[in-house]
Amino acid sequence: MERLLRSLAIVFLVTATVAIAGCGRDVVPETEAYATEPTGPTGIEIRPVPSVPTLAAGAPDANGHQVRVACSACHSMKKPDRTQRGGKPLATFHQGTHVAHGSLTCLSCHNEQDYDTLRLADSRSVAFENVMELCAQCHGPQARNYAHDAHGGMSGYWDTTRGVQTRNQCTHCHAPHAPAFPAMRPTFKPRDRFLSPVQESHR
Amino acid sequence: MDTATTEASAKPPHWVSYPRFLMRAISAATDGSFLFYAWMTGLTAVFLVGANAWAHQVTSGMIYTHMTDHVSWGLYIANFTFLVGVAAGGVMMVIPAYLYNDRKMQDVVILGELLAIAAIISCLMFVIADLGRPDRFWHMMPPIGRFNFPFSMLTWDVIVLNGYLLINLHVVGYLLYTRFLGKTPNPRWYKPFVLLSIAWAISIHTVTAFLYSGLGGRPLWNSALLAPRFLASAFVSGPAFIILTMLVLRRFGGLRLPVQPMDTLMKIMRVTILINLLMLISELFTEFYAGGAHTSSARYLFFGHGEANALVPWIWTAIVFNVVAAVLIMRPTLIRHTGMLATICVLAFMGSWIEKGMGLIVPGFVPSPLHEYVEYLPSNLEWRLAAGVIAFGLLVYSASIKVAIPIMRGEMRFEQETSTK
Amino acid sequence: MTDKAKGISRRRVIKGLGATLGAAAFGAALSPLFQGGFMSAKELMQRHYKELSPEDKKEVLERLQADAKETFGRDVTIADPRPRPKTKFVYAINLSLCNGSGKCVEACHKENNHDRITKQSYIRVLEMPKGTMDMERGNTTYNHTVPAKDKFYMPVQCQQCDEPPCVDVCPVQATWKEKDGIVVVDYNWCIGCRYCMAACPYHARRFNWKKPYIPPEDINPNQGYLSNRVRQQGVVEKCHYCLHRTREGRLPACLEACPTGARVFGNFLDPKSSVRWVFENKRVYVLKEELGTKPSFFYFFDK
Repeated sequence: MERLLRSLAIVFLVTATVAIAGCGRDVVPETEAYATEPTGPTGIEIRPVPSVPTLAAGAPDANGHQVRVACSACHSMKKPDRTQRGGKPLATFHQGTHVAHGSLTCLSCHNEQDYDTLRLADSRSVAFENVMELCAQCHGPQARNYAHDAHGGMSGYWDTTRGVQTRNQCTHCHAPHAPAFPAMRPTFKPRDRFLSPVQESHR
Repeated sequence: MDTATTEASAKPPHWVSYPRFLMRAISAATDGSFLFYAWMTGLTAVFLVGANAWAHQVTSGMIYTHMTDHVSWGLYIANFTFLVGVAAGGVMMVIPAYLYNDRKMQDVVILGELLAIAAIISCLMFVIADLGRPDRFWHMMPPIGRFNFPFSMLTWDVIVLNGYLLINLHVVGYLLYTRFLGKTPNPRWYKPFVLLSIAWAISIHTVTAFLYSGLGGRPLWNSALLAPRFLASAFVSGPAFIILTMLVLRRFGGLRLPVQPMDTLMKIMRVTILINLLMLISELFTEFYAGGAHTSSARYLFFGHGEANALVPWIWTAIVFNVVAAVLIMRPTLIRHTGMLATICVLAFMGSWIEKGMGLIVPGFVPSPLHEYVEYLPSNLEWRLAAGVIAFGLLVYSASIKVAIPIMRGEMRFEQETSTK
Repeated sequence: MTDKAKGISRRRVIKGLGATLGAAAFGAALSPLFQGGFMSAKELMQRHYKELSPEDKKEVLERLQADAKETFGRDVTIADPRPRPKTKFVYAINLSLCNGSGKCVEACHKENNHDRITKQSYIRVLEMPKGTMDMERGNTTYNHTVPAKDKFYMPVQCQQCDEPPCVDVCPVQATWKEKDGIVVVDYNWCIGCRYCMAACPYHARRFNWKKPYIPPEDINPNQGYLSNRVRQQGVVEKCHYCLHRTREGRLPACLEACPTGARVFGNFLDPKSSVRWVFENKRVYVLKEELGTKPSFFYFFDK
């Protein structure tokens, strides 16, 4: 019996030692530095917006193509109306443009000097593709967040030294005339089982 | 082993006598009256149903249980928790028997130890039943696996449960074997283990409570009172079950067991049942008087939450059982009214089964950490599996009692057999 | 022979018969286990992830790819990117922007090869009334146009705690925290005890109650050993910050899917990173701070 106890003690000690020693068996490295050469392009890429927007002129041409014209095509001949808000009251064109953007008038942003550009508050003109500069005048906090990657969403790489990160501009998500983000309907809900009977055809 | 009562000349070597001891034990465990056979056959049948349910669960997945990501432990862990208590409660016979040298108790203390063994075996089976990958059980075994000791309380539980099983197997095995040989057991070989088992019994239930109370994200469990409450209810359910065993053995086994040990156990229950109630009241007071978000599990358990109130009938049944048992057990002449005593024991046992099983494990998960109310009631498969495990525990318990009683009474002896041949 | 002896021998025969019957019945009861396809010897004997030598790992990955081909009829690549030095991933969500559309939930579901039947996902979105932070008043089952009036939305997923309770409780070290802060699970080591699920205060862990079902054409073939490979039945899984993407420098799937740009992700150890800027310039909070889990995930409001 005594011998049995002694051997039990030895077995226990050996087991404990092996168990503790077992912690040293790990061979997978905790971190691994890969080759840092990126395989493709890197950096931040901002999704472009059209540099000069166009509008359907109305009737199609002889080949059946819709004729699109730049803003200046018409507006260079029209007298600007600085009080105009929204397209509804207009006799021709733009009637469908719903504007819900604070108390802004059309010419708060559109440049009456050159309708193919936009206009900053200090009346300097700015190209359509640099629209963010215009938005940032009023939406400072958003612009600051955007500048620090904390607004606007992105895709691709978080590590821009290894790949391209694609970023949006303001107008990709916010309609410039009615910028409130649209309401959505949740399309996907996890179906926790909630004690419902097993209903499945595949296992 | 020099305190043998029989003449030294008849002392055979252990390699002869021990196998014969085992053979005789197997033979005794499978001999009995028609009632005994019916009982054992019934248990075997239930066990087989459970085994089949388990095989089904392992192959097809636990989707056939009603557990969910919200309530990720259910009937199995509830029963495991309760049965750890039953095992620990068995020690309530060991303390008076060996610590206070209660002679009468010593004659029947084996019942408590056998109960501990059977309950622990069931506990381990419930843990296995709860595993999603029982085939990987070896991952837990040092040195081939990776045993997360001492960080995981589950590893502590594995150690203490298996340790308790081994200690009790040793004590019981040693006592029975020496008695079988007709010798007086040498205290040197069992006394230290008995003392150890007393401390160990406390540890198994404390560690099991720590399994839950160490989880900061589960306010219902994260209470310092959980371990003491576990012990108090263990010291109700354990003795209750042993009293029931004695009553059954007297009634159906035709055994004349001494009354005194039963009386001692009853007296223990009188105290522990009140301590258990007191702790329950303390817990409820802090939960309900102060209120707040961390009490939502308790509110769900006792009063339900809107439509979700699956556990309300369970817990009130438990409360009623416990209170009624606590009141009735006060009757001074109770020991002479065996019918009533049996009823009280059943009530107390069932009461703490619900309170510590379904009434503790399940509401710990409801509401979920994100405060969603997803309810749980066991599925058909879970009931079958659980019944199978409990039936196996009872099989072990019945068979071992069948062996132990004649040996302890000196009716089954080594030399009897040799002399008849 | 005496009558008594005869009785004994007859009893022996009956006992033997009973034992044989019992054993046969036991075998029959357990027969589903032997129907095969449930486990392979190689899988059964596989060592813990951390103990795999480069050769072992290569063999394991090849076996898993072959298994995927056999089970789903689809060619997949299972890589095992390790954490890079000086990287600590942190996630932040702008609750002023989140509109509860649940696009992240769906993206996670697809990216991570979740079971299509239970529509599992690592992310849950709580709809909360404005004016409270009490999750008791939140609701994940809302199904109406969002954002609803006077509500805000809070997506919850694994917080990748620095003091993860789930890791402490695992009895077999099947889950651990990696150097870049991601808490991972070795799906081939997990025994499925679900103690981690009980320990997690964020409902971040999921259990494979059954074998996941995914139509072959829907499987995302770009997989990682510790991330989005199709899990086995009976093991626990959790959000891993899309480590098969993020460790390669790419953004997590949930971030790319977010229509409102509410999600910010990056390397916290880089002082010029976006998460770092948000952390330093916004009032931020973590979920259940009082539990001391130290999440690598925080929330902030813009207004």
